[in-house]
Amino acid sequence: MFLLVFILLVISLVVFYLARGALPPEYSLAPYITPRMSDAQKLDLAQSLGVASAVCPSYSAFSSHVPGCQAPLWSQYVDWLKLVFSGNWGYSQLPGLVGSTKTWDVFSARFPYTAQIAIFSSVLTFLIAFPMGIISATHNNKLPDHASRIAALVGYSLPVYWFGYMLQIIFVLYLAVQGRGLFPSSGALATQCAICFSSPGVIPAITGLPLLDSLLSGNIPFFWDSFVSLILPALTLSLGTIAALTRIVRSSMMEALRQDYILLARSKGLRERIVVYRHALRNAMLPAITVSGLIFSFLLGGVVLVETVFAYPGIGQAIVDASLVVDINFLELYVLVTALILVVTNLCVDMIYAILDPRIRY
Amino acid sequence: MLEVKDLRVVFHTYAGEVKALDGVNLTLNRREILGLVGESGCGKSVTALAIAGLLPENASANGQIILDGRNLLTLSREEMRQARLKDIAVVFQDPMTYLNPVFQVGFQITEALISEKQVYEGQLINQRVQELQEDQMRGDRDSQELEIDRAKLQHSVESGKLSRGEAKGLARQVALQYLKLVQLPEPERIFKMYPFELSGGMRQRAMIAMALVRRPKVLLADEISTALDVTVQAQILALLKELRDRIDASVILVTHDLAVVSEVCDRVAVMYAGNVVEVAELRELFANPMHPYTQGLMAAVPRPDRSSVKLQSIKGSVPDLIYPPSGCRFHPRCPKAFASCPSTKPPLIEVQKGHGVECLLYG
Amino acid sequence: MYFLFKQNPVVVAGSVIAVGSLLLALLSGFIVQPNLWQVEHLDQRLCWNNPAFSWPIPNVYNCSGASYPLGTDSYGRDVLQMIILAVPLDLEISLTIVILATIVGVALGSLAAYAGGKIDELILRVTDVFFALPALVLAIVVMVVLGRTLQNLTIAVLITWWPYYVRLIRSQVLSEKERPYVEALRSTGASPLRILFLHILPNTIYPVIVQMTLDIGGVILTFSALMFLGFSPNPTLPELGNLVTDGINYVFTAPWLIIFPGLTIVIIVLGFNLLGDGIRDILDPRLRR
Repeated sequence: MFLLVFILLVISLVVFYLARGALPPEYSLAPYITPRMSDAQKLDLAQSLGVASAVCPSYSAFSSHVPGCQAPLWSQYVDWLKLVFSGNWGYSQLPGLVGSTKTWDVFSARFPYTAQIAIFSSVLTFLIAFPMGIISATHNNKLPDHASRIAALVGYSLPVYWFGYMLQIIFVLYLAVQGRGLFPSSGALATQCAICFSSPGVIPAITGLPLLDSLLSGNIPFFWDSFVSLILPALTLSLGTIAALTRIVRSSMMEALRQDYILLARSKGLRERIVVYRHALRNAMLPAITVSGLIFSFLLGGVVLVETVFAYPGIGQAIVDASLVVDINFLELYVLVTALILVVTNLCVDMIYAILDPRIRY
Repeated sequence: MLEVKDLRVVFHTYAGEVKALDGVNLTLNRREILGLVGESGCGKSVTALAIAGLLPENASANGQIILDGRNLLTLSREEMRQARLKDIAVVFQDPMTYLNPVFQVGFQITEALISEKQVYEGQLINQRVQELQEDQMRGDRDSQELEIDRAKLQHSVESGKLSRGEAKGLARQVALQYLKLVQLPEPERIFKMYPFELSGGMRQRAMIAMALVRRPKVLLADEISTALDVTVQAQILALLKELRDRIDASVILVTHDLAVVSEVCDRVAVMYAGNVVEVAELRELFANPMHPYTQGLMAAVPRPDRSSVKLQSIKGSVPDLIYPPSGCRFHPRCPKAFASCPSTKPPLIEVQKGHGVECLLYG
Repeated sequence: MYFLFKQNPVVVAGSVIAVGSLLLALLSGFIVQPNLWQVEHLDQRLCWNNPAFSWPIPNVYNCSGASYPLGTDSYGRDVLQMIILAVPLDLEISLTIVILATIVGVALGSLAAYAGGKIDELILRVTDVFFALPALVLAIVVMVVLGRTLQNLTIAVLITWWPYYVRLIRSQVLSEKERPYVEALRSTGASPLRILFLHILPNTIYPVIVQMTLDIGGVILTFSALMFLGFSPNPTLPELGNLVTDGINYVFTAPWLIIFPGLTIVIIVLGFNLLGDGIRDILDPRLRR
């Protein structure tokens, strides 16, 4: 618990120092300025935000980096923390924003889409990798094993972004049906998914995920839209993680099946199915669970790539734009949320591990 | 009741064909403890595994293993599995690695009884009935409670099948009973513990309970005391001696230690390089070893009371089973070998009643 | 050697590819003029005239005569030549990162394992912080702050990669430290540094080598992804990820821009993965003590 807070603080501190320290002070102010502010207002704002020191005479002095005008970084950080805790994340500078430009709003409008992809990909990964790994282990050195090993090795070596385009090329160019691609080639531009991305508020926010919400509220066209535009990005993203997880499941299952307690289980007359799925799998799951934290981390990173390739309007795509215009607040928010998710996930993974392995608890 | 005739087992490995068993002949009578002695690598564990049908994939077995009139080697995998459920149980050497570390001890003892409950139903119910009767006789428990329990049992019997929950409860009772039988203190606590929480001796006892709880006809004990300290070893052997009268199983005790054999066994079979070279009753074997190998073994045991006598060893070393010696496999090391030994494999000859030898010296 | 092949065709295939790509990297300067990537032939852009394969795309420009086995990119440069120029750059960056990460990992990992106590805690907490972010995100943040140069790119990926090595080497040294021979060495008065470098590290080196080999591929994937996202100093720079970026706008009109550079990445990474796996399999019986 303390670890979580500690990590978040450290990350925010480091990012803050890097951002505000390495970049000119106007950048720090930019997220909070609206175009119609006068210089006096800007100075006021700068001082109230703690960016400019109280003794700074004018805004032009501030922007021409007169020494003594910029407040020391640590006090800026403290002021920023205060702002953040009261929910003020300033304004986002991302290009092409529609509606509210507050960083928090921009972020939370896009977040569900990224969450969708990430969750869908994780589910897909576990659903596919475990059976593949188990079958590979139980049919060691026969055809299913060789096939899945090759597939895993290749999948492990593919660049995510390249594979995304390859899928697009295959499905849109080659498997075209009546001149139209089988799947939308990109999220926002697809004729089919124009509905789902341009009309927020059409569906009630039950889970916050458009895919599930549309299903739960019975809005089938919307659901189908969301699903179809979700499938290719999720597949692209999952390929690498499926490959990695399959390899691990396979090797840990093989290791487990070699153990003496398997022989004992067989000698008790238990059915082979029970021997494999109860005795071996329980032990084999442990290394696999350990690695799932890393896998989720990879997913959150890869989501940036797939969103760019498929023009999917989630925070991953936004971060690329944010880096171009150096939108500090958005960057901070993104980094902190990501770190929060990952640390919580790792905690859950540790807990699950402790449940599965009694040796850890004592 | 168990007969092994001319059992041959070959392992197909990358290094070559390992001819592990070369025509093993054994008989196991009812309610006896047969010791299977020999050096490491002589094939005694392989024999035990072959009887249980647990040989690895790369092994092929030929010959006959006859239990209850059926040749186990001709059974399908499923039939062999059923045989392991009902008739054969194995206790292994190292309880740390043979117990699954993530499951409770009690669970591992009862799991076969529960998942295959149709096989064990009768047994479980009978045991419960017996227990209730004993309780009633001893006047231990409140008669009202007893009535409730008996009614519950009646219900299970009448409905014909046990539900999973009922089976779990009954199996647990049975398991506790056996945990008590193997002299484990506080059986209820141990039931819920994990293997790593127990000491080596306790784990071994739990494994024995695990095997006995299924009421097998044949119990194969593979070096069960080897991985334990000497004092614990003695305890386990004492336990075995106590149990032999209480359980209705025949035991094959595999070990490399003659001392262990002399403690508990009724009859002894000596193995060398994949053959049973001599088999006799315990006292007869020690008094009158006939096979040169057995004689060598006896002479090699250090005797504190005869400290002036030099330690005898058997010259040579254990043969490579990929390219074993021809004829009698012991002939390169045998002090009494003669002309026909390298060319003829000796058959099992019954020199006296109950005392058999595979040696050309005797016929 | 022949026996090795019979047992492990995987290793051989992998090492052939890996060595092949390294050779290509070394010799590329002789095959293709090194500065060719700066020359643009705008009249020859986006064309394809390889008779062996044709695309289901209408109106593919056929390069009016000059022969380009893999087509040209949006600056009119020969894609094949660009790929040949890109391989050494990618491999060079990747090897730099992997080697540096290993060095840092060895230094901090063995320090943590050997010193134990508070220092160990501190180093572990620091790696925890790094693990709290996905590699790509962390690299992006660093790039945003530092600016776009190749050097910064190397630094960014290095920063994301060294925690893995620290953890790996730390756990290796920890388990090695408990072995009896270390105690024996300590009792003879050998200094910790000597024990560490002369005895412990050589024994722990096998898994590290396996990891390094596998990571050469992984690092290429990471920084080419960064380049793809637009963090490269110069969009015309011949780097495999960069070449893919070039093709984003022409996915359906000139797909060869994306397909072939990416395919090259796949082959190289696959080669090193096979090699790493093969090495691990060979060393495995020895590793298992």
